Amino acid sequence: MTSSTVAKQDDLMDRRIGLRLSGPTLSILCHPCLAGHAFYRNTGVRLIGGIRGRLYHLTALLFSLAWICPPGPRLTFSTLPWLFFVQMERVLKDDAVEEKGERARMASFIGAMAIADLVKTTLGPKGMDKILQSTGRGRNVTVTNDGATILKSLHIDNPAAKVLVDISKVQDDEVGDGTTSVVVLAGELLREAEKLVNMKIHPMTIIAGYRMAAECARNALLQKTMDNKENIDKFRSDLMNIAMTTLSSKILSQDKEYFAELAVDAVLRLKGSTNLEAIQILKKPGGSLKDSFLDEGFILDKKIGIGQPKRIENAKILVANTAMDTDKVKIYGARVRVDSMAKVAEIEAAEKQKMREKVQKIIGHGINCFVNRQLIYNFPEELFADAGILAIEHADFEGIERLALVTGGEIASTFDNPESVKLGHCKVIEEIMIGEDKLIHFSGVEMGQACTIVLRGASEHVLDEAERSLHDALCVLSQTVNDTRVVFGGGWPEMVMAKEVDELARKTPGKKSHAIDAFSRALQAIPTIIADNAGLDSAELISQLRAEHHKENSVAGIDVISGSVGDMQKRGISESFKVKQAILLSATEAAEMILRVDEIITCAPRQREDRM
Amino acid sequence: MAAAAAAPAVSRKTETYTDTKRRDDVRGANIAAARAVADAVRTSLGPRGMDKMIASGDQAHEVIITNDGATILSRMSLVQPAARMLAELSRSQDAAAGDGTTTVVVLAGSLLRRAQTLLSAGAHPTAAADALHRLATCAVDVLHGMAIPVELSDRESLVKSASTALNSKVVSQYSSLLSPLAVDAALSVVDPAHPDLLDLRDIRIVKKLGGTVDDTELVRGLIFDKKASHAAGGPTRVENAKIAVIQFQVSPPKTDIEQSVIVSDYAQMDRILREERNYILGMVKKIKAAGCNVLLIQKSILRDAVTDLSLHYLAKAKILVVKDVERDEIEFVTKTLNCLPIANIEHFRADKLGHADLVEEVSVGEGKVVKITGIKDMGRTATVLVRGSNQLVIDEADRSLHDALCVIRCLVNKRFMIAGGGAPEIEMSMQLAAWAKELQGMESYCIKEFADALEVIPYTLAENAGLNPIAIVTELRNRHARGEKNAGINVRKGQITNILEENVVQPLLVSTSAITLACECVRMILKIDDIVTVR
Repeated sequence: MTSSTVAKQDDLMDRRIGLRLSGPTLSILCHPCLAGHAFYRNTGVRLIGGIRGRLYHLTALLFSLAWICPPGPRLTFSTLPWLFFVQMERVLKDDAVEEKGERARMASFIGAMAIADLVKTTLGPKGMDKILQSTGRGRNVTVTNDGATILKSLHIDNPAAKVLVDISKVQDDEVGDGTTSVVVLAGELLREAEKLVNMKIHPMTIIAGYRMAAECARNALLQKTMDNKENIDKFRSDLMNIAMTTLSSKILSQDKEYFAELAVDAVLRLKGSTNLEAIQILKKPGGSLKDSFLDEGFILDKKIGIGQPKRIENAKILVANTAMDTDKVKIYGARVRVDSMAKVAEIEAAEKQKMREKVQKIIGHGINCFVNRQLIYNFPEELFADAGILAIEHADFEGIERLALVTGGEIASTFDNPESVKLGHCKVIEEIMIGEDKLIHFSGVEMGQACTIVLRGASEHVLDEAERSLHDALCVLSQTVNDTRVVFGGGWPEMVMAKEVDELARKTPGKKSHAIDAFSRALQAIPTIIADNAGLDSAELISQLRAEHHKENSVAGIDVISGSVGDMQKRGISESFKVKQAILLSATEAAEMILRVDEIITCAPRQREDRM
Repeated sequence: MAAAAAAPAVSRKTETYTDTKRRDDVRGANIAAARAVADAVRTSLGPRGMDKMIASGDQAHEVIITNDGATILSRMSLVQPAARMLAELSRSQDAAAGDGTTTVVVLAGSLLRRAQTLLSAGAHPTAAADALHRLATCAVDVLHGMAIPVELSDRESLVKSASTALNSKVVSQYSSLLSPLAVDAALSVVDPAHPDLLDLRDIRIVKKLGGTVDDTELVRGLIFDKKASHAAGGPTRVENAKIAVIQFQVSPPKTDIEQSVIVSDYAQMDRILREERNYILGMVKKIKAAGCNVLLIQKSILRDAVTDLSLHYLAKAKILVVKDVERDEIEFVTKTLNCLPIANIEHFRADKLGHADLVEEVSVGEGKVVKITGIKDMGRTATVLVRGSNQLVIDEADRSLHDALCVIRCLVNKRFMIAGGGAPEIEMSMQLAAWAKELQGMESYCIKEFADALEVIPYTLAENAGLNPIAIVTELRNRHARGEKNAGINVRKGQITNILEENVVQPLLVSTSAITLACECVRMILKIDDIVTVR
């Protein structure tokens, strides 16, 4: 109990003097038995407090205590016990700050809700975008609607807010979509929890209630999922719907059918693997978004060497990472001493000869295309050109790794054993032009599922955002291909869950039911926000929606376009069950985690030399 | 941290004021900033548009005078994110069509102004944005309806559209010279195998101070903006040239591994000098043996490409030398000369050489250039030598020529032309407004408003030409309503005429990409409701 009274007192004091208080200092000083000491030695406290930079509030505190404790004899104790207290209170190192109890919880609630409010407006098909303006050099500007992108680039100084950013990141990695929803739901759960805490319900009770509610919500949703695994046509249309729903809140919304088609085709090529690496997204400014296309093959944004064939059929590709200038002696300071110019010329000739041998070895693999991560200099380039081999230099890391993956080759760096090196294969290599740039196109690659999506668009901003949107869609689709269960969208799942959770709340006795009730309210906040963002009358719509859902097997959701409650089945608004489940579970977990917090310890930052 | 309880919501470092702004304020600020940018370039639109002088660099030493929207915007140091988006918009138009870079920004500015009116009238930003998207698609259809097909063989039409692009530039008085030049240059690089591709990198523009823009010429061959090296009195004119492009160095050997030559006495030094001489002489002999008489040497960083000694020997062998050819030029050079680069002396064979009738050094203005003409089996490239009385004029001529080339490229890509002089904009505005009446609800209202916004182009054209914009625009509307689709502003006569008869035409691609890009950019700005400062 002491700790809570102390916390109260802190708060009071806080308001009265309007200054920062340090928890540990006060909790020790305010402990009844210590208070006397403190008062007797108040001059000492002043001194020490001043040293710790907390002179003002300590003085203020002591004055406020002055009328509680009777004045006593001063300077009767030796100074030793005081030093002991000072030791006690400095459990933490300099500058480390500790927050406790109510206040710690409040800090985390506020941080988490602030984050949720920040991304809230991006939710739903009529969600807005944000400009992210970098403070770094160049002051780069990003325009985005993607929750994960916004959150991961924020400056955050609040631990609870960081937890939310993390769940959004995890959501992005795991399922790719719902990055905003998960944060918003967690924020709403905490908002509700705050009310409950204020009603003197213990955090642990709230957590227990939330757990029950989450379990119940999940089961409710699970029962209502649809699975069209057997029917290929239906499944494809499910995928299309999911892709369109995902894209409808993004920049690609206007061409969502086109891009949904593109994404579904790309994902179906993968044949169930979730390895999105095989789908290469290439951005080329110019043209409009509609000019984007799916290409069955691999495109490398590089140039073919001078004087080499621009088109090769039945290519045998050697992907390498090797230096093509000279194999140098790596020992530092190694040098050759000679006594005549002729010898220098000999060494140079020898170096050239070595290079020639290396090139011969490479050619000896029976290849007709050589791709190197490092530069290919003029001399070897000419040798390759003479041998009629297409040589591509300076392909970046990602480029060659992908190329090796899709052509089924291995990245080689020594060439002594031609038989052990796995070559890549493809049908045709040719130079193509996209917009103003010449690129190298590998078609008919070994790995049939590989493909490239070439995105075209007005500017870098558009392209970047389009890539993020498409990536989300691809992630969701590849997840759905594995877990084929599908639910409706447009606030339908939330309402279904809220209804079941409400039922549960009614059945559950005890304080927990408040928490369960709160959980249902938090779930309903999602359709509310979607409606709010679209500028609709959310209170009216949600009540209508709830009434609709009271009927059995309702398919009602918010139809943002017409601004009313609509039939989600007819509108073709679907979402992946896996995404919804991930949102529900990780939001609950995050809320739980933040609720459990009753103390925040901020460690002192490492001292840095000031470089200014 | 401890302040979290006392002052809530300090979850982010509040380094800037922006993130506390209300959403409407953010949108308003964005629109205002973007419009300010549009207003800045507005006066440079059209044939009577004015130029801007841009001073940049330290203490504003670097001065550019230009009329090109993309150049102006790229030089402005903009900070506000929305303003920067407009600058990027202009750059995209430059990349997509090459011309109409001012038009696209002015259009976006006008659309934003209307959008602001709509927002204050209570329209939801996404509703406005969606309407804009439909408008763009529909506008493109209208433009297609107005378009006139053009054949690449129709040189006259191509010249007309190139000269429309040039008319608004500083060099407009030379448009009769520059536009046929641009057309010829562009057509000469079109590969019959890919008739709808035109790679502007195949056209090289060499700028040389001196003379006037009148002296600008299209060279069927190759020009190096360098002197032939005659340190040792080598030839400066070679007929029946056999040209080698070499990537090795004619200088004393140098190994990749660090080496040092130890000289222990005087006699040894003598010997080394002699050896050096022999080494170089050997190389020169090999070069000569292959029949080469013009040598183009790639620039080398690691060691001297040529030394005085090697130049001397090369001069003796009557070989013309051009040194310091950049590595990225090699591809262009070899393509033009139809030869192969030679990276090693051992590979110096006659079959890798290129042939030309004449290689000579000619003085152009102050400096000298090396001209290669009469190339046998010349690749599909072209070189334009741009002349001008001062650097500013040359730069502007270069930019204008680029625009003209882009116009031709647009026509090669998409073989349709459309009338200029504000005619397409007025037509779009009229047709879209009519279409808006068929629609319902907010969409109709938005489209009506945005359709009006398109009138900004003829309005500005008239304004910049010193005409009465209101009178002109209303008369234009009137004429278009009577079905004269091609009525446009004739700036020279200061009245409305059939603009096609005035030969004011532009490629369809320029207009379509201007409208789609402007709409896309405005949509993006409308959808933004917050500016967040990040790392």
